[in-house]
Amino acid sequence: MGERVRGISMPSLAWRIGATVLGIGLLLNGSLRMSDDAWPFGPMSQYAFSPSGDTTIVITRVEGLLADGRRVDLPLRVETAGISRAEIEARIPEITAHPALLRSVSDGWTSRHTAEPALLRVWLVQDQTRLIDGRIGPTRLVELASWELPS
Amino acid sequence: MRTLRSAVSWFMPPVLESRVAVLRTVLYLFVIIDIHFLVRDPIPLSRHPELYQPLMLERLLHLPPPSVPLTITLYLILVVGCLVAAANVLPRLAGGVVAAAFTWWTAIGMSYGKVDHDHLALVVALWVLPTVGVIADRWRSTERSVQAGWALRCIQISVVFTYFLSALTKIRSGGWSVTSWPESSILLWAIVRRPHGLGQFLAPYPELLHIMQWCSFTAELTAVAVLWLRGRALLAAAVFWMSFHIFTVAILYIHFAPTAICWLAFAPLERLGPWLRRVKARRRQRTGRRSAGQSVSVFRDHAVDSTG
Repeated sequence: MGERVRGISMPSLAWRIGATVLGIGLLLNGSLRMSDDAWPFGPMSQYAFSPSGDTTIVITRVEGLLADGRRVDLPLRVETAGISRAEIEARIPEITAHPALLRSVSDGWTSRHTAEPALLRVWLVQDQTRLIDGRIGPTRLVELASWELPS
Repeated sequence: MRTLRSAVSWFMPPVLESRVAVLRTVLYLFVIIDIHFLVRDPIPLSRHPELYQPLMLERLLHLPPPSVPLTITLYLILVVGCLVAAANVLPRLAGGVVAAAFTWWTAIGMSYGKVDHDHLALVVALWVLPTVGVIADRWRSTERSVQAGWALRCIQISVVFTYFLSALTKIRSGGWSVTSWPESSILLWAIVRRPHGLGQFLAPYPELLHIMQWCSFTAELTAVAVLWLRGRALLAAAVFWMSFHIFTVAILYIHFAPTAICWLAFAPLERLGPWLRRVKARRRQRTGRRSAGQSVSVFRDHAVDSTG
């Protein structure tokens, strides 16, 4: 074949074997025992839970009252608010305890929508959809927190 | 002893280094795409220190909390480092810097509550690719090494483990039950939460969604078998998983691009260099024949335009 094979020293071989065993061990340990905190060795928990056929599905949103009286949706995406829905959802307990944390959304949205009237107030809301026997049921709007922006 | 030796040689088969050289180019260029389109939020997120919750990795390494200057610096390091490493220049230094910077960048992106699991194979790839060291002749290399084989095997294992460990987590979260996840309303839940793609058309058919869940769960649970497939069987598995990813994009807008790109660790990338050279030679030959047919006058090294 005319191909050369590069040699490998014993220490090189040994650390590779060690790294392989350690890496596989950490991954298995992460999946079997740890939480997301152990990233990149944590469990692959995205969409890995098992909601029942009568669960309530929530979509978290932020709405804002503009100076011209309109109440608008402030889409929770990096390009529109500088932060995404999952990040806000992960902080719901903190936000309901300290609604001023909604500043992250109002600041992000305002800096990306300079032509819009000023934001006066923001609400953290949820669309809660109930499943009935594994099928989509009614949806209701629930307000979790609100924060008036300092003038 | 013989079992140990065969296990070691399975983990470290002598593989053509040109395969690693090509994979480096592709993956380092992909990282540039990644930081612009996938994990693109570390800079805007770093403006909200009040929402930062460091992961275990960041706590263990005592990494400073992200700030705008820090994330912009990481961004610049990644762009420059990836361009250098993609050219297979300074592979250990540039590759090592990219591995560390991208791991930190991605960890920052996951330190605000949402942790994604599509980056395992890419992060592993970035850490193992520099270990192959300098590849003389890069894409043209005809040398084999177990160093290259080990790096590729690690990436392959990470790819299939992304699926397998996902199935394991589903079993764990369902109270160690094999049926709880496939029989749950998870796909409907995902479709309601992401009402964008084709999923909306499937929502009225929960039985069909259960069948799809069983199929994907079975595929994930058995994904490790891909490591022992060869030839057409391996190609069929790759096509199946690529179709799976296209399908999840279509119904939920969820892609696993960083995992999908790492499937290239299974591909005979060493053929790319010779193929490109053949294409170039053929084109050159064709151009040469055409110019010969046109009988263009040549003065010194320059063709003389007859219409001039």
